[in-house]
Amino acid sequence: MTRTQRLFALAALVLLAIVPFFVTDSYTRHVFIVAFIYATVAVNWDLSLGLGGLFNFGHVAFFGIGVYTAAILTTALDVSPWIAIPAGGITAAIAALIIALPVAKLQGIYVVLVTFAFGQLCLQIVLSQGDLTGGAEGLVRLPYLTIGDYKFIRDFKFAYYYLALAILAVSVIVLLLIAQSPFGKSLRAVRDNPDYAASRGISVARQRVLVLVASSVMTGVVGGFYAIYLRVASPEVFGFSIATLVVSMVLIGGAGSIIGPAIAALALTFATEAMAGVRGMEEARFIIVAVAMIVVLQVAPGGVVDIFGRLLGSGRKT
Amino acid sequence: MPDPILTLSGVTKTFGGLTAVKDVSFSVMQGEIFGVAGPNGSGKSTMFNCITGIPFGPTGGEIRFKGQRIDKARPHDIFRAGLSRTFQKDAEFPDLTARETVALGGHYGAGLRGQHTRDAVEEALDLCQFEPARRDMQTADLSVYGKKQLMIASALVAKPDILMLDEPASGLTRPEIAALDDLLIKVNAIGVTILIIEHVLGLLLSVSQRLLVLNNGAVLTEGDPKTVIRDERVVEAYIGGAAA
Repeated sequence: MTRTQRLFALAALVLLAIVPFFVTDSYTRHVFIVAFIYATVAVNWDLSLGLGGLFNFGHVAFFGIGVYTAAILTTALDVSPWIAIPAGGITAAIAALIIALPVAKLQGIYVVLVTFAFGQLCLQIVLSQGDLTGGAEGLVRLPYLTIGDYKFIRDFKFAYYYLALAILAVSVIVLLLIAQSPFGKSLRAVRDNPDYAASRGISVARQRVLVLVASSVMTGVVGGFYAIYLRVASPEVFGFSIATLVVSMVLIGGAGSIIGPAIAALALTFATEAMAGVRGMEEARFIIVAVAMIVVLQVAPGGVVDIFGRLLGSGRKT
Repeated sequence: MPDPILTLSGVTKTFGGLTAVKDVSFSVMQGEIFGVAGPNGSGKSTMFNCITGIPFGPTGGEIRFKGQRIDKARPHDIFRAGLSRTFQKDAEFPDLTARETVALGGHYGAGLRGQHTRDAVEEALDLCQFEPARRDMQTADLSVYGKKQLMIASALVAKPDILMLDEPASGLTRPEIAALDDLLIKVNAIGVTILIIEHVLGLLLSVSQRLLVLNNGAVLTEGDPKTVIRDERVVEAYIGGAAA
């Protein structure tokens, strides 16, 4: 990441931190919070897909596992939401480790098939274990976050906004540090030339296991946050719609850039919300997102961050 | 007589009904430059791949490196044990700079960290006479010879016992081949054993102390390079074809 890009990221963070002082209505803050949640899922997906080159189409399942971990812990076991949210990261990491073992030695389309099947398996487990998961209806009326007597749903979601932003900021900072570390460089080496990487002492299978687990932790945490924030866990989180939307964010933003998917997540969440309010666009908005993805990939395969990089006169390198 | 550092015994590689390497046996001695020649399709690169496990190991036979069997070892463990290789085609990590590429070999291959890695990177790049001005360039932007130098530097950074080169002169100009010749002599002089596969016979004859010729996946002959290239079977199988 160049100095210009670091300054841009810092400026964006400062700008987002002062947004609640100007944006005071609950709905707009809600859209920001959802955008931060999707951005967290997208940047973590970018770690395995963009940097690691692993066609992991089960990433959204880690998010869903975080959602249901928090929901089940708070409803069935009466665990505090403050513990249930990070617990989502732990269960997602365990699930990632389980799926990583067969995936580590597979290539290309087989990784897609196995990870996609994993997502569907999670969905079927949720649907079939209705006593615990609520089945097709899901779990509702989850407890909200509090600190002492202060409820997070007060003040037009002011505290939720900052918590969601903090989760995203931590994710982005950690991922940027990973990208600059020898581990991050080894991921790019494995992605671009696995034989050459192995010939320089890098265990390709081990790096794939590590990247899947690393990408799952904050995805599971933000899944837990999503459930507690919306106070609902629905099987839709394992569905194709969210996966398509988030992968669009990664590809439009610029796979492997970390910052790009975060920018795209904010832009696409607001764009799809805006289109939802236009008559006739309720369903068509997803077609527009898909078309936008194709256009961006044709015009600038490196995504919007590549376009910004060219405008700023710097490379796209993370 | 030095001890063998690498020994192949009856190594065979089959792909379905095709036998690409047939019962190949030879030893590479500690500190020597050992050349392997042979016409196209003779099994040179397949044998190379079998030794390093990239992308596959042998179907049969035994490979020992420093006395330990490596024919079932994982490729990254083989590198960490001190056996490194280059590739015939330009291998690169296009997203990484030259320094970052070499550093990966030091970090993962030799377990170096921090300043030790940085020092080893500069040392390896200096040894390969890789221009300082190009060290922070992304590898995708390097010349063919630059990429070859980088492949060798990223192998040498882990201080291997043996360096295996798969047709390093392919795609190079005459001055670059001469520079490569000097580099291999220099690398060998610091104690690194070299096993080289090459089509450019001039380079092989210039640097090799012993030469083995493969034909149709089997060993045709082995010995002093000047004697080997006069062998009628070699002339018929390889040099004769080239001369014609």
